[in-house]
Amino acid sequence: MNLRNIIFIALVLLGVVIAMVPENTTKPYKLTAEQMLIEVQGAAEMVIADDVAHWLISKDPSLQLIDVRTPDEYQKFHLEGSLNIPLSTILSSENRDYVDQGLKMNVLYSNGTIGSHQAWMILRQLGFENNYVLQGGLNYWFDTIMNPQAPSVTSADEEFAKYDFRKAASGVFGGGNAVTITAPTANEAEKPRVIRKTKKKAPAGGC
Amino acid sequence: MGPLIPQEIIGADWNLFIAFVIGIGFGFVLEQAGFSSSRKLAGMFYGYDTVVLKVFFTGAITAMLGLLFFSLFGWIDLNLIYVNPTFLGSAIVGGIIMGAGFIVGGFCPGTSFSAAAIGKIDGMVFIGGLFIGVFFFAEGYPLIEDFYMSGSMGPIKVSEVLGISGGVVTLLIIIAALIMFKLGELAEKRWPRAEY
Amino acid sequence: MKTSYMNPYLAGVLLGLVLLMAFFFSGRGLGASGAVKSVMVAAVDIVAPEHTANSHFYSKYVGEGKEPMEAWLVFEMMGVLVGGFLSGAFSGRLNWRIEHFPGITAKRRLVFAGMGGILFGFGSQLGRGCTSGSALTGMASLSVAGFVSMMAIFGTAFALAFFVRKNWI
Repeated sequence: MNLRNIIFIALVLLGVVIAMVPENTTKPYKLTAEQMLIEVQGAAEMVIADDVAHWLISKDPSLQLIDVRTPDEYQKFHLEGSLNIPLSTILSSENRDYVDQGLKMNVLYSNGTIGSHQAWMILRQLGFENNYVLQGGLNYWFDTIMNPQAPSVTSADEEFAKYDFRKAASGVFGGGNAVTITAPTANEAEKPRVIRKTKKKAPAGGC
Repeated sequence: MGPLIPQEIIGADWNLFIAFVIGIGFGFVLEQAGFSSSRKLAGMFYGYDTVVLKVFFTGAITAMLGLLFFSLFGWIDLNLIYVNPTFLGSAIVGGIIMGAGFIVGGFCPGTSFSAAAIGKIDGMVFIGGLFIGVFFFAEGYPLIEDFYMSGSMGPIKVSEVLGISGGVVTLLIIIAALIMFKLGELAEKRWPRAEY
Repeated sequence: MKTSYMNPYLAGVLLGLVLLMAFFFSGRGLGASGAVKSVMVAAVDIVAPEHTANSHFYSKYVGEGKEPMEAWLVFEMMGVLVGGFLSGAFSGRLNWRIEHFPGITAKRRLVFAGMGGILFGFGSQLGRGCTSGSALTGMASLSVAGFVSMMAIFGTAFALAFFVRKNWI
């Protein structure tokens, strides 16, 4: 058998194999299971609702809220300025620039924290930085920020400060207990630092 | 893991050195295949020598299969591979002008360099022409910029347009190529040329 | 010394492997005309820097922090010259000559080679890449542009072959 026929047969065989197997569309995970365990235990991905409210009121430009619920739920209610990236589309290439970036702090939220955590786990394993989860989700947001409960008279002073802030925030966000807005006095919340990403060049080429 | 440099597994400093090494391989294969001979290249269009068809398609298919298998084994991330963007109008008109240049000049840019490397004066003149042609384009760019940028479709792939997997596209191309190879071999028998 | 050319299918497989290595290492394919453009841009930038700064075309490649000569394709094409030379030396094909069909003069061949080069140079810029950069590399990555370029180039060459047949057969 000559070289030509060997090459022909090899090409056809490889072609048939590659046509039969499903395409590899998986994106390789960057973090190992051990690294993920450390991340999860550290719970550093959590940001508390009061902080987020604070950043929202001060119109912090580096904050990007991402709503991972379905578009229907997003339509009904969403936090101001949030983007809707449903969990099912978290890996799609159009959303890549939002979830893999080095300029903003993404805060993912869902009703509870399951959906947002699911999204966060996937993104984190892909090695993406700067993604966080809104602690307690929207449910907790409603309970604390939108309808804050007055602390009992015996509570510590800081509880009252928190309550005042929440009531003020509630007014800003159009919640029930609208009162005159007192400038939020909460201390400048410590913000997770945005990890600058060395902007990877898009694959270059061409003549 | 691959592509190694975009994934920063090999430092970006090595990129140009790797380009040089890959170029050596490219030039060596082009010359060994006979692409340094304009008469061999032009034979494609008169049927007496279809080496262009055979090398070009075998090369494209090998690389296609390689990319898909590398991706399958997780050796390369196809998202990081450059896919040249499609601008339909300029691609067609540019291709027509290149086709005219091919049959008139007997080379394409890559092959003219491999011809010049072994001392072919016609290859060197062709390269000189390339510089003039690129210069004309650069100077005339304001006039054609609108056309050049029109019809942008982004880096789309045939598999996406047809809605089938890249593997199936590859198999179809392999079958088409084998038919063309057979036709080419028949043409070489039909219009034989003495050795040149 | 062997002087004959390699089996074309074997050469094709090797060409494909070289292209695959370019993808695997650098994430990009082969090219040729881009190197000509880089060298031309660099030369014009030396001769007339003001002109390049003002032009829409040149300013894409020159200016602050841009080094047109430090382009991947420039180094790749330097490699092509070396690789071609090694292959020619290996197969005993190194000599100064003008290869042409015996029916035409060497001068005519050179005139046509120059004209073809001008056309190809212009077309490669308009079509965003030549046979290597757009057609071969594009096909390997299944890009639509690659297939369009390939069909336009070869289709036109076939269509025009009749009119310049005196040059070749």
